[in-house]
Amino acid sequence: MNRAIIKTENLEKIYGKSAVKTHALKGVDMEIPAGSLSCIIGTSGHGKSTLLHMIGGLDKPTSGSVLIDGVAISELTDSQLSELRAQKIGFVFQFFNLLQNLTALENIQAAMLFGSVPQAQQRAKALELLELVGLSDKADAKPTELSGGQQQRVSIARALANDPEILLMDEPTGNLDSESEEEVLSQIFKIHKAGKTIVIVTHNRELAEKAEMIFEIQDGKIKT
Amino acid sequence: MNTLKLVSKNLLRRKGRFIFTLLGITIGMAAFVALLSLSGSMQSEIRKQAAMLGANLIITPKNWCAYDQISILTGESLPESLQYEVLEKVASVDGVTAIPYLTQKTAIQNSPVLVTGMHPQETLEFKEWEIAEGSFFSAQDERAVVLGSSIANSFNLQVGDTLTIRGAQFPVIAILQATGGNDDIAVYLPLAVVQEIYEVGNYISFIAAKVDDLAQMESYEAAILDVANVAVTSDKQLLSTVLSMLGTVNMTLQLIAGVALIAAAFGIINTMMAAIYERRREIGILRAIGAKRGSIFRIFLLESGVYGLLGGLLGVVLGFVTSLIAAPLISGGDMSVLLKGATPQASLDATIVLTAIAFSLVISVAAGMYPAWKAAKLTPVEAISYE
Ligand SMILES: Nc1ncnc2c1ncn2[C@@H]1O[C@H](COP(=O)(O)OP(=O)(O)OP(=O)(O)O)[C@@H](O)[C@H]1O
Ligand SMILES: [Mg+2]
Repeated sequence: MNRAIIKTENLEKIYGKSAVKTHALKGVDMEIPAGSLSCIIGTSGHGKSTLLHMIGGLDKPTSGSVLIDGVAISELTDSQLSELRAQKIGFVFQFFNLLQNLTALENIQAAMLFGSVPQAQQRAKALELLELVGLSDKADAKPTELSGGQQQRVSIARALANDPEILLMDEPTGNLDSESEEEVLSQIFKIHKAGKTIVIVTHNRELAEKAEMIFEIQDGKIKT
Repeated sequence: MNTLKLVSKNLLRRKGRFIFTLLGITIGMAAFVALLSLSGSMQSEIRKQAAMLGANLIITPKNWCAYDQISILTGESLPESLQYEVLEKVASVDGVTAIPYLTQKTAIQNSPVLVTGMHPQETLEFKEWEIAEGSFFSAQDERAVVLGSSIANSFNLQVGDTLTIRGAQFPVIAILQATGGNDDIAVYLPLAVVQEIYEVGNYISFIAAKVDDLAQMESYEAAILDVANVAVTSDKQLLSTVLSMLGTVNMTLQLIAGVALIAAAFGIINTMMAAIYERRREIGILRAIGAKRGSIFRIFLLESGVYGLLGGLLGVVLGFVTSLIAAPLISGGDMSVLLKGATPQASLDATIVLTAIAFSLVISVAAGMYPAWKAAKLTPVEAISYE
């Protein structure tokens, strides 16, 4: 097995401050090897998104830790954490991924603004990524002019903007029809072949079967 | 992609709101600039008139207030209030040359015009007037009029025409060369004639005096106060009194403009808060793709900064245009005379432009601080999971 690029240790997350508390994660330990394709599956409301947010440094755990490449991200300052998100991690949300007033191309370029792609190369690189997801002809389309599947493919392209090692996706095909789903899945496999570490929250059987590791979350814990 | 491009795309997504918010700051700034520019031209006009007066000392009755003194500079009529013998007393002081003024009102073609009674020869020398046309009074009590150049121009009067004042007819015997000051907007007659037709007895309005040695101003003042029961003001005191009165008026007006600007600042805060509310999810996306708190803060602060910069620029233009249009329209007030000759162009200098734009920027950036801070404070998940 490759080195663990993502590791969680006794990860807990409790939402809410006083009266209504939700114990969303109850001690999750997982190790994800570099270059692998992993799936997180489980019933709705059992903590899949919460776990993915923690791994992606979008939220802080209540206790326990997340290590990315051996670095505990809870030790990082907000600015270092932002840097990590910009450089090392690409994130695709379940819905509402794109900045609505920017075109497909500009959405990808916006991510480069926070990464390290020199401004002069941004356009060419963004066009390359659009080609990778098969949307070269939609470079100047606004999100409202794209189908759901096309929007998700733009999101995937944007997640790859700064050439991150890790790609995290929260049900990227969750609300797509089967045809769009196929499009998106084929992109994901392509990217995986290129050597990225991919973690996907999904309900899709086909995808789960192809994954090297499957984590089933039940009631805030990993079912073994 | 750079931050500025992102900012401009954000601003223009709701064009209506952008324009109305911009109008708020533009109008506030325009009011501010118009006032600065008008008061600037008023001040320079007052200075010009004070220089035009050609007198070092003004002798008035003791009970005159600063308000009356303005009228000396603006060329309004003043009540007859000093006995003629006061002039003789003042003139008797060594080194002092004094001339009397008796100012009254008449009308030419239904417009009010200032009538000034004076001693022809002495005033001609005192004022160093030049005659443009005709010949000046030849006797101390000649029943004729001499016109200031603006009067001749605006009423289309020539030497040889006749003017009716208080029912009496007077031939126009001369027209003065333009001075650029208030002397251009008066009709001149010998003192004795004005006293007679206005039935004011042996009274005059005030006395203007020149001194031989400017360094000895105070001792001249003392000497005059010794011989006559009057008030003596130097031209410099007069100028500073008038300027400080104008300053008070300006302060009030600037306060009003200030209130307009504060309202505009709240307009910006309001717009930016609404933008954050609407764009919460986008802030989350930006954070997820690696934007630091500082970047979010900067994006929102820049957005309000653009309102400041554009509002300042447009405000300067609008304010300047307003002052150009307003200057001739403001009439009836005591300051109006000062504006008639004023040229706002002259006072719209680089200082006003830069001050206004800098001020507008500072206000809008200050207004943008709180919303920008609110936006930057959101954690990525808070922003994204917002419904
Ligand atoms: N921001 C939040 N504040 C409070 N509670 C939350 C928050 N986000 C999630 N939860 C709660 O935490 C639990 C886990 O939610 P999570 O979104 O991780 O589930 P999920 O497995 O992704 O579900 P789904 O398949 O429907 O997306 C749920 O009970 C949810 O109500
Ligand atoms: Mg979820």
